[in-house]
Amino acid sequence: MDQMVSERPLTSSARRWAWRGLIIAVGVVALAIGVHVGRDGWTWGADGKAAQALMAVELPDAAGKLQRLEQWRGRVLVVNFWATWCVPCREEMPEFIRAQSAQGPKGLQFVGIAVDSADKVQRFADELGVNYPTLIGGMGAIELSRNLGNDLMALPFTIIVDRKGRVVHTQLGRLKEDKLQAIVRPLLGEPGAPG
Amino acid sequence: MVTPPTSAGLRTKPGRADGRTAAALASAALFAWTLTAHAAGLPGGEPKLLPPEQAFRFSARALDASTLEARFDVAEGYYLYRDKLAFSVEPGDLVAAKPALPEGKRKHDEFFGDVETYRGLVVVRVPLAHAAPGATVTLKADSQGCADAGVCYPPIVQQVKLPVPTGSAPGPLVQAPRKKGFFE
Repeated sequence: MDQMVSERPLTSSARRWAWRGLIIAVGVVALAIGVHVGRDGWTWGADGKAAQALMAVELPDAAGKLQRLEQWRGRVLVVNFWATWCVPCREEMPEFIRAQSAQGPKGLQFVGIAVDSADKVQRFADELGVNYPTLIGGMGAIELSRNLGNDLMALPFTIIVDRKGRVVHTQLGRLKEDKLQAIVRPLLGEPGAPG
Repeated sequence: MVTPPTSAGLRTKPGRADGRTAAALASAALFAWTLTAHAAGLPGGEPKLLPPEQAFRFSARALDASTLEARFDVAEGYYLYRDKLAFSVEPGDLVAAKPALPEGKRKHDEFFGDVETYRGLVVVRVPLAHAAPGATVTLKADSQGCADAGVCYPPIVQQVKLPVPTGSAPGPLVQAPRKKGFFE
C-alpha cells in the first residue's frame, strides 16, 4: 500500500522531468542549429562531401601541367578562388604570399584557383611574385566554388582544409590576416602532423 | 516531499503547460534570432550580399524602331566596370552601331591601368537598323561589377525581349529576371 502511494508522485515527477529534459534538449538543438546555420550556412552536413570534392579537383597550372589538390593532403591547405579582374582578390594576395613564406615550412600550403585565363594569371603572378601554385580554372571554377558553398558565386572565396582533409572554414570576401592566422595557427600546431 | 530543483526559466511560470510553452517560445526565439543575426550581417557573420542580377538590375525599352534604351540600376554599395559593358541584339543583323557608353568615374588600377566605373543609374542607347515595327527583339547585356563590401562578381549576361513600337510612343520598360534569391 505504501508502495502504491509513493509510486504515483514518483511517476508524475519522472514524467515532468522527461518533459523538461525534452524541452531543454529541443532548445539546445535549436540553438545549435541556429548558430551553425548562421555561422557557416552551407557547411551543415556537407563538410565531408565538400572536402572530398575539393581534394579531387584537378586543374592545369599556369604552365599547363595538371595538378590535383589531393597531392597537398597532410598540409594545412588554403584554397583561394580569385581572378585578375577582382581587385579585392588581388589586395589580399600579398598577405597570402607572406604567410606562405613564413609558414610554408610548418605545413601551410596556399593554392590559388583563378577564374581567369592562363596568360593573365601568369603575368599577374609574375608581377606580384606569387610563391604558391596557381591553377587555371577559367569560368568553370566559379561553378566549382559554388559546389563548395559559394552560393553567390562571388570572389574572393577561400576554403581552409585541415591536415586530415576536413573543411574547417570558408570565407566569401577578403580573409583578413588576423582571421587567417587565428584559424591556421592551431591547425599547424597539431601533434603528429607531417612537415 | 523532495522536488528536484528546476531551472529558473521553467520555474517562473506557474503550471507545467505554461512553462513548456514559454520554453518552446524561447527556443524558437533563439533560433529565429541567430538566423536573423546572420541575415543582417551582424558581427561574426559575412556581409549580406545581393546576387549580381539584383545588384545590377537590368531593364530596357524600345524608344522607337531604331533605338533601344538599356538601363542598369546599380544598387548602393555596388559598381560596374565600364569596359565590361557590352550589348548585342538578336536577330544579329539589327545592330546599327556600337552603342556610346556614358563616361564613368575614373580610377587607377595598378594592373589594368585607368578604369572607369558606374554607380547608380546607367542609361545606354543602342542604335538599331532595319527593325520591323511590331517585331520582338532580344537585347543582351554583358556586365561585370563588384561590391564595396569587398567581393567581385564574374561577368554576367542579362537579357530582355522588347517589342519594337509601331507608332511614335516608346515601348514598355521590361525588367530582366532577377533569378535566384539569397538563400536559393
